[in-house]
Amino acid sequence: MLDILLSQIVAGLVLGGLYVLIAIGLSIIFGLLGIVNFAHGGFFALGAYFAISLYQLAGWPAVILAPLLVGVVGMAAERLLIRQLYDKEPLVSLIVTFALALMIEALLRLAYGGIGQPFSAPFTGIYLWGPVLITKYRLFVFVLTVVVLLALWAFLQFTPFGRILRAGSRDPEMVGLLGIPLPRVLTATFGLGCAIAGIAGVLAAPLWTVTPAMSEGAIMPAFVVVTIGGLGSFAGAVIAGLLIGVVSALTIQFAPSAATTMMYVAMAVILLIRPRGLLGERWERFE
Amino acid sequence: MTDSRSLASTLGRRAVLLGAGGAAATSLGAPFISRAQAADEIKIGLLLAKTGDIAAQTEYLANGSMLALEMRGNKLMGKPASLIWYDEPSPQGAQQNMQKLVQEAGVVAVLGGALSSSALAEQATALRLKVPFVIDNAAATDITGKNCNRYTFRLNTPVAVQADMFAPYLLEKGKKWYFLTAAYAFGQDIAKSFKEILAKEGGTVVGDDSVPLNTPDYSSFILKIRAAKPDIILGGVPAGDLSTFLKQWNEMGMRGKIPICEIAIGDTDIWSVGPTAATGLYTSLWWYDNAANTPAEKDFAARYLKKYGKPAADKAWMGWLTATSLFDAIDAGKSTEADAIIAGLEAWKGGSAENPYYYRKGDHQLLLKNLVVSVKPKITDQWDYFDVLASVPKNAADLEKVFGDPVANGCKMG
Repeated sequence: MLDILLSQIVAGLVLGGLYVLIAIGLSIIFGLLGIVNFAHGGFFALGAYFAISLYQLAGWPAVILAPLLVGVVGMAAERLLIRQLYDKEPLVSLIVTFALALMIEALLRLAYGGIGQPFSAPFTGIYLWGPVLITKYRLFVFVLTVVVLLALWAFLQFTPFGRILRAGSRDPEMVGLLGIPLPRVLTATFGLGCAIAGIAGVLAAPLWTVTPAMSEGAIMPAFVVVTIGGLGSFAGAVIAGLLIGVVSALTIQFAPSAATTMMYVAMAVILLIRPRGLLGERWERFE
Repeated sequence: MTDSRSLASTLGRRAVLLGAGGAAATSLGAPFISRAQAADEIKIGLLLAKTGDIAAQTEYLANGSMLALEMRGNKLMGKPASLIWYDEPSPQGAQQNMQKLVQEAGVVAVLGGALSSSALAEQATALRLKVPFVIDNAAATDITGKNCNRYTFRLNTPVAVQADMFAPYLLEKGKKWYFLTAAYAFGQDIAKSFKEILAKEGGTVVGDDSVPLNTPDYSSFILKIRAAKPDIILGGVPAGDLSTFLKQWNEMGMRGKIPICEIAIGDTDIWSVGPTAATGLYTSLWWYDNAANTPAEKDFAARYLKKYGKPAADKAWMGWLTATSLFDAIDAGKSTEADAIIAGLEAWKGGSAENPYYYRKGDHQLLLKNLVVSVKPKITDQWDYFDVLASVPKNAADLEKVFGDPVANGCKMG
């Protein structure tokens, strides 16, 4: 039994890594722009579709452009739509981004059809260490996720742009008074969040069925991870994502039909014990 | 600071929770009228999901039904006719949309029912509204079993019957089965039917996982299957979920090691997987490249290919056949009254002498042979994935016997 539990925990950590990647862009957009982006799953799906199209056009090297394209689409969406929401009631942003999610799904259906797009990993094979089985591709996904997260953390912590972002999220008025063009920063931030969702979509494409509806499978875990981790908390999202992955894997071992439900049970329990989430801070603007 | 930023800052954790709840609770999609309507035209309802994983199949079901109407010049009884397509976002939402189709759009009959859970709800509404309803996809046994009613007809072979047809091919591979079935009507029906057969044959259930719908990651399930070392995996996961499982099965190096077997799959489920990961033994109702297809089916397949630029999937044929049977019934009875349409459907016959199909009066179930198909060991064509291994039952005369007595199946036609 210990063997299979160990295997399940490793599988859960790898799945959790993907959840972290999906959720972190959502967390950034919410934390820095104050927008609950229902369309995040749509940008995740766009990443997968762009990856397939680019692969068909120019092979694997071109796939790296997919998240960038998603970022560009995200910036365009911010300029045309999201920007109008900053002075609206929170419910309006929920409804509008939900409509945007539906629109992205409908456009993908129109362009590619409803049938799933075949797409396989660039390499196959497994590593077997004792009872632990991990595929080469999943290990690659996990390592790349860690690299992306570290790069993102360093970007937000140590670059001037990152400092403006963090300052703008706490005190946008002061940032504006200092002569910093905050609207452009917000556009770039939304694009960054979408591009990260795009990376997750690219990495998930060889594992998930690539259909216009794949966004639905991404958005709920992302919301759960962000909520459990604590709003705007980078480290919280990482811990929550890995936790949800492991909880899902262990539930599958003992009560498979409850695997999805347990994710929400974990969220409810954690919020009851700690309403701000695991590492949620007290932010004056959110209180 | 702008006002906008200060207002945005009023968002909080509750907004995110509200968002999460909204995503879970809100149904997707809205009614859509596929063709312009004229006052004197005959309207037929199409009730099929427009979003979600099942939409990969419903696209083909709808295409097939639309092509069936097009092949008649978009006319029924010499009058213009149109299909009006509404969504089936959930069982409750589908019931509401069926009511709208009948009471607001004025349709005389409805085609649809992509998922068993929705179809079971829709058939109750069809009875209440007294409108003929031909189910083109759902396979739950109860639809033409204990839930049967006078207004509901169904094309897909019930799960229990498919299980009986398929079981001999599975037992050849061994008697240690691992069940991986979806946690809803279709999956539960499959688990129940095959477990009864396995028990009778003295086999063993070495694993039994009920899988939530839309599960994105199967790695933990695959680890359990790998540890259990079954002779076969008896699948009961629908549409995109099956595709996802097969992709991950291959990714985890399991393709070819344990046979995956499932009934009532769609061609699109396997086309979505791709040639490197596709595998398995399945039942299907129709295959576009089957030499035994009738001339009418071959004509349909050719027209479909010409119109859509790709072969007709089994679901396209199912949409075409149910629509054709309904349109034939309306034309034969020269009436859009429910009683006349029902009589027409009960009298309708299609197919050939070797491969006939017809709705029987006792439960309004379409009797037809099923195919046992296997994914080719090496796939060289974008669409040509299957070898047809058998058509069951072998003799058309055995159809009534194989499908079982309607009353014994629980059907009491009201």
